[in-house]
Amino acid sequence: MSPKIVRLLGTCFLSLTIVLAGCGSTPDKPVVIQEQYPTKPITIIVPFTAGGGSDMLARAMERSATKYLGQPLVVVNKPGGAAMVGWNELASTKPDGYTIGITNVSLILQPLYGPTNYHYPTALDPIAQVASLPIIMAVKSEQSWQNIDDLIKYAKQSPGTIKYGHPGLGTAAHVAAEMFAKTAGITIEQVPFRGASEALTAFLGGHIQLLFVTPAEIKEYLKSGKVRVLAIAEEQRLNDPDLKHIPTFKEQGIDVIFSIWQGVGAPKNLPEDVKKKLAEGFSGIVNDPTFQKSVADLGLKVEYLGPQESAVKWVAENSRLTKIIKETGIGETIASQKN
Amino acid sequence: MDVTMLLHGFYISASPENLLACTVGVLIGTVVGILPGIGPTGAIALLLPLSFGMDVTTSLIMLAGIYYGSMYGGSITSILLNVPGEGGAVVTCIDGYAMAKKGRAGAALAIAAIGSFIAGTLGVLGLTFFAPLIANFALAFGPPEYFAIGFLGLIILTNLTGASALKSSLMVAVGVMLGAIGMDSLTGISRFTFSVSELQRGVDFTIVAMGLFGIGEVLHTIAQSHGKAILQPVRFWDLYPNKQEWRRSVAPIFRGGAIGFLVGLIPGPAAVISTFVSYMVEKHRSKYPDEFGKGAIEGVAGPESANNAAVSSTMIPLLSLGLPFTPVSAILLSGFMIHGVIPGPTLITQQPDLFWGLIASMYIGNVLLLLINLPLVGIFASLLQIPINVLMPVVLIITLTGAYAINNSFFDLFLLVLFGVLGFFMKRCGYEPAPLAIGLILGPTLETGLVQGLIIGSGNISSLFTRPISGVMLLCAMMVIIFQLAKWLTKWNDNRKLANTQYISHKN
Repeated sequence: MSPKIVRLLGTCFLSLTIVLAGCGSTPDKPVVIQEQYPTKPITIIVPFTAGGGSDMLARAMERSATKYLGQPLVVVNKPGGAAMVGWNELASTKPDGYTIGITNVSLILQPLYGPTNYHYPTALDPIAQVASLPIIMAVKSEQSWQNIDDLIKYAKQSPGTIKYGHPGLGTAAHVAAEMFAKTAGITIEQVPFRGASEALTAFLGGHIQLLFVTPAEIKEYLKSGKVRVLAIAEEQRLNDPDLKHIPTFKEQGIDVIFSIWQGVGAPKNLPEDVKKKLAEGFSGIVNDPTFQKSVADLGLKVEYLGPQESAVKWVAENSRLTKIIKETGIGETIASQKN
Repeated sequence: MDVTMLLHGFYISASPENLLACTVGVLIGTVVGILPGIGPTGAIALLLPLSFGMDVTTSLIMLAGIYYGSMYGGSITSILLNVPGEGGAVVTCIDGYAMAKKGRAGAALAIAAIGSFIAGTLGVLGLTFFAPLIANFALAFGPPEYFAIGFLGLIILTNLTGASALKSSLMVAVGVMLGAIGMDSLTGISRFTFSVSELQRGVDFTIVAMGLFGIGEVLHTIAQSHGKAILQPVRFWDLYPNKQEWRRSVAPIFRGGAIGFLVGLIPGPAAVISTFVSYMVEKHRSKYPDEFGKGAIEGVAGPESANNAAVSSTMIPLLSLGLPFTPVSAILLSGFMIHGVIPGPTLITQQPDLFWGLIASMYIGNVLLLLINLPLVGIFASLLQIPINVLMPVVLIITLTGAYAINNSFFDLFLLVLFGVLGFFMKRCGYEPAPLAIGLILGPTLETGLVQGLIIGSGNISSLFTRPISGVMLLCAMMVIIFQLAKWLTKWNDNRKLANTQYISHKN
C-alpha cells in the first residue's frame, strides 16, 4: 500500500483507540470522602443579577470563606426566570458539595404559582439560613394618612383608587401586601415593577401611593422625613435605632407577618460529612464580625439557622404559605394569567 | 457654594491612592469596553471584592472609572471590526466600520476619543451644577411617560438607516417581538420560551448586537469571493482626522453631548437609546445625509459623545436620590452600600468628601482616558493590517468568549451564532440590523410603561394623554404619524396625476 494510505489508516486507528479509551467509564462509585474536603474552590450559584441584595450577600460571604471553609467561594451569577434558571441548575448538579447556591423564600413561593422544573423545597437541601429582611409599608409624608387606620378608612371609602407598588409578581412583598389587603378587608390595586428600585422611583415620583419594600432602600428617605412607614410585617418592632419607631402590623390589629429569609442550599443527597463541613463553615462565616458588619450595611438582619432547623422551617413555611396563597387568591390570579 | 466644594473635591481626588484608583479604574474600563460581551456591570461586580479593603471614596472612584471608561473602549472594536464592545457602541458600528473600510479608521477612533472626552466632561459639569434639579425632574417621569417615550422613540427612530422604510419597520417589529421573549415580570407569564428554561430571562441585547453586527460581518467577510488579504492599508498620516473631518465633527459632538445628557435620565438602557437618537439627529442636520451608512464622521462623533454624556446623567439619580436607573448604577449602588454609605438626598451634605471627591475624579478620569486613548489610535488602527484569515477567527473567539462571560451560559453562545447567521442573511437581502436593535430595546419599555400606566390610570387609556409630560410626547408622536401620512398621500397623489397625464399623452 502506498505510504500515504498507511499514514491515513494509522491515524484513523490511533484516533479511534484514543476516543474509545476516553469513552470508557467506570460505574459510579459513591463519593469517597477524604478528610480534606473541600479540595478545590466551591462554586456558589446566585440566581440573580450582579448587584442585587442576594448577590451582595454571597460576595460578603466570599470575603470570609477561605478562613472558615478552607477554600474560596466562587460567585457565579445565573439570573433569569425569577431565580428559577439558577435554581434549576443547582437542583440538577451533582451533590458533591462543590456547587451550592443562594436560597430565599421565593423558592417556596414559586412552585405554588404553577408548574416548575423542580419542586424546589424538596429538590434542594438547606445548609444554613443566613439573613432575613423585613417588609414595610410606606407612604410619602405629604399624604394625609398618619397611621394604618387612616389608610384603611380611606381605602374602604374609595376602593381600588389606592395603587401600591411591589418588586415583582409573586415576590414576598407582593404576597405580604395581598395578605394585608385581605386581612383588612380593603381593595388596593397592585402595580408590578421589575425590582424594588423601579417601584421606589415610581413611588417617589408620586405615581403610586403605597410601597411594599424592604427597609434598606428607603432608609435615607425615612431619616430625612420624606417618607412615612405605616407598618412593618414582623413579630416585634426592630432593634435598629432608625427603624425602632415603626409599629408592626400585628400591634395595629392586622395579623401580617412575613420576612424574606435568605440562605445557602445545595442539591439534595449531599454526603453527610460534606454537609456537616459546609454547615460548620457557614456557621463560622455568619458569626464572623466582618460579615455581620457588611450585612448590616446592606440593610439585612443576620439570622442564622443550621441545616436541621432550616429544613424544619422550609417545611413549616411551605404549609403556611400554601395556605396564605390560596386564601388571598394570589395563586389563582397568577395561575390564571399563566394560562 | 459648589465651586469651593468642587475644588475641595479635586484636592481629595488628587491624593495618591485616589489617583491610582482612578487610573486603574479607567484602564480596566477601557479594556472591558474593548472586549465584547463583558460590560461594565460584570466588571464592577467582579472587582467589588477588591474594593472591600479600600476606603469608600477610593473604591467608588475606581468603580465609577470602570463605568465611564468602558464608554471610551466600546467604540474601538465597533470601528475596527464591526463588533460592538457593548450596547452604547452599537450605533458606532454603522458609520465607524464603514470609515475603517475606507481607510479612515484612525480618524474615526480619534474623533470618538475626543468627542467622548468633551461630552464626558460637559456631562460631569452638568452633574456638578444641576444634579438636584435634574434629579427631581427625572422623578416626574412615571410609567405612562416611559410608554410615551417608547412610542415616540419607535416612531421617530424607525427609519434610522434610511434604506427602505418598509424593511426598517419590519425589522423594528421583529425587534419588538424578540424583546417579548422571556418571562414577563409584570404578569409572570413565560412568552415564546418554547419550554427552554434558558429563554426565561429573555434574549440579551448585547448578544443580539454582537451576533447581528459582529458575527454577521465576519460571515460576510468570509463569504466575499474577491477577498483581499487585509482589510485596508493605512498610511501613517491618515491615522488622524483631517481638517474637514474636524470641522464636521464639532457641532455633532456638542449636540451629542446634550442629547446624551438628557436621554440618560430615562431608566433602562439610556446610553444605547441616546446613541440612536443622536445618530438620527445628526443624519437630519447633516449637509451630507447620503454619506450616512457609508462613513460619515458625524455618525461617529455624535453617538460616541452621547454615550459618554449619558453616563454622567445616569449618575445623577444615583447620587442625588439613591435610585439606580440602569444595571450599572445598580451595582454601583451596591458598591456604596457595602461600604455602609447609602446615596440619596443627604449624601451631598453628610458625605461631602465622598460626593465631591467622586465628581472631581470623573473630570480627572476623562482627561486620563483621552491621554490613554489618543496615542493608542495608531496601534489600534494598524490592527487592521493583520491578514483577514488570522483576524476573523480571532474576532470570532473573542466574541464567543465575551458572550459566554455575560451569563455563563452555553445557550447564549447558540443564540449568538444564530443571530450571526441571521445578520449575514439580513445583510445579503438589504435589511439593516439597527432597526431591530431599536425594537429590541424600546419594545419592553413601551410594553411595561403601558401596562403599569394603565393600572395607575385605572384602566382608562385617556389617562395617558391627560398627564402633561406623556400627553405632550404622545401628541408629538401623533403629529409625526400624521405628517408622514400626509407626505405619503401627496406623493401618491402626485404619482397618480403624473401617471394620468402620461397616459393621456400616450393616447394622443
